This record gives sequence, structure tokens and C-alpha cells, in this order.
Amino acid sequence: MSEPRRLADGFGRLIVLVYVVFAVSAGARALFQVATKFGEAPVSFTLSAIAAAIYLVAAVAIIKGAARLALLAVGVELVGVVAVGALSVAVPDLFPEPSVWSHFGSGYGYVPLVLPVAGLVYLLKRRAAA
Amino acid sequence: MIEWLYLVVQAAALAMGAWFFIETARSQRVGRRHFVGVGVLEALLLAQLAVSIAIVPGEAGGGKALFFSYLVTTLLVPVAGCFWGSIDRSRWGIGTVAASGLIVAALMLRIHQIWEFQIHV
Repeated sequence: MSEPRRLADGFGRLIVLVYVVFAVSAGARALFQVATKFGEAPVSFTLSAIAAAIYLVAAVAIIKGAARLALLAVGVELVGVVAVGALSVAVPDLFPEPSVWSHFGSGYGYVPLVLPVAGLVYLLKRRAAA
Repeated sequence: MIEWLYLVVQAAALAMGAWFFIETARSQRVGRRHFVGVGVLEALLLAQLAVSIAIVPGEAGGGKALFFSYLVTTLLVPVAGCFWGSIDRSRWGIGTVAASGLIVAALMLRIHQIWEFQIHV
């Protein structure tokens, strides 16, 4: 056990798996939506694509041990899901079709809201321990 | 989709997730018995895929490419979770594989929705 503990060890490993699954599923869905019916809900589909990109950045940053980039990505993600969630409730006309972050991620079992909170707690704990 | 087979797959995915989270709480490393558990889930998912290949193309609705892309992704999730989780030496190794069971259950729910509302209409 002489190797140093990396960011993707322990609970970070579970977080990375969920981030990768979300990057792939939200990303594939957003690419398909942008390619086939972008005009129907441009704001939603653009936001979904951005969300997928942020999930990917967060996953890669944790795997690579880039703690600051991971913290930045997860922070942006939390701000994004709260802001888009609030906006989708306040101005539903902007979202004729849901984005990943609409209604605080209700279409994905609220995992998009729980994930950045869990990620932030984990990253901040690891930073405090370092 | 055959309803009982779908429910068996769901039960297996959730049972595997619950069992592995108990193993997480007990700080177990990923071991042979866990691979057997994942193997059972994979066998059920393959049966689901085989049945789907047999009956989905004959259905009236659309969304079949979406259906199969979800199903193939679902097949890969426990395998990826196993590889990624088993290299961890902490309790969260098996915890990661446990999470893959819940992800399979969520994806199967979505696949069943696609079947009900888009394909089997």
C-alpha cells in the first residue's frame, strides 16, 4: 500500500463511473438531438450538449488527478443544474423539450443534482486531507 | 419485450446492486463470487438482447435503433463497472460495481419505456 492514493481511488472511482455513464448517455442523446431536430428546442439541446461536455471534463480530470480542474468542472456543473433547473421552472417556454438539467434533472432521477453535490463533498474532503 | 423477462432482469440488477452495497459496507474486495453475480446479470441481459433481436424488428413502431443502442450500452455497463471497480483496493471497488447494477436498472426502465411508447404500439 505504498502507492499514494489517487483522486480516482476509493469513492472517487464510483463517482467517475457515474460521470462516464452520464457523459456517454447525455452526450449521445444531445448529439442525436442537435443533428436531427435542433430547431425544435435549441436552448435545451445546446445545454444538454454543454452538460455532457462538463461530465466528460470532470471524469477525465478525476482520472488524471487534476484536482483543481475537477473542482472547477463539478462547481460549474452544480451552478449549471441549479440555474437551468430554476430557469426551466420560471420560463418553461424556453424548454419545449427537456434538457439534462431541466427541473433540476428530474428526467434523470435527480442524479444530475445529487452528482455535483457528492462530487464537491468528495473533492473538498480529499483536498482537506492532502 | 417479454414482460416477465424484463422484470427478472430488473430484479437481478437491483438485487446485485443491493448485495454489492452490503459488501461495500462490509469492506469486501471484489472477488470470485462477485464476478459470478455479474455473470448472471450479463447472461440475463444477453437473453434480453436475443429476445429483442427476435421480436423488436417485427413490431410496428419506430425508435428501434434507439432501443438497441440503449440495450447494447446496458450490456456494457456491468462489464465496465467490473473492470473499473475490481482494480480498487478500498471498499469502493465493489461499491462501484454495485452502482453499475443501479445504472443497469435505470437504463432498463428507459428501454422498457421506449418499447411501450414507441415500438410496441
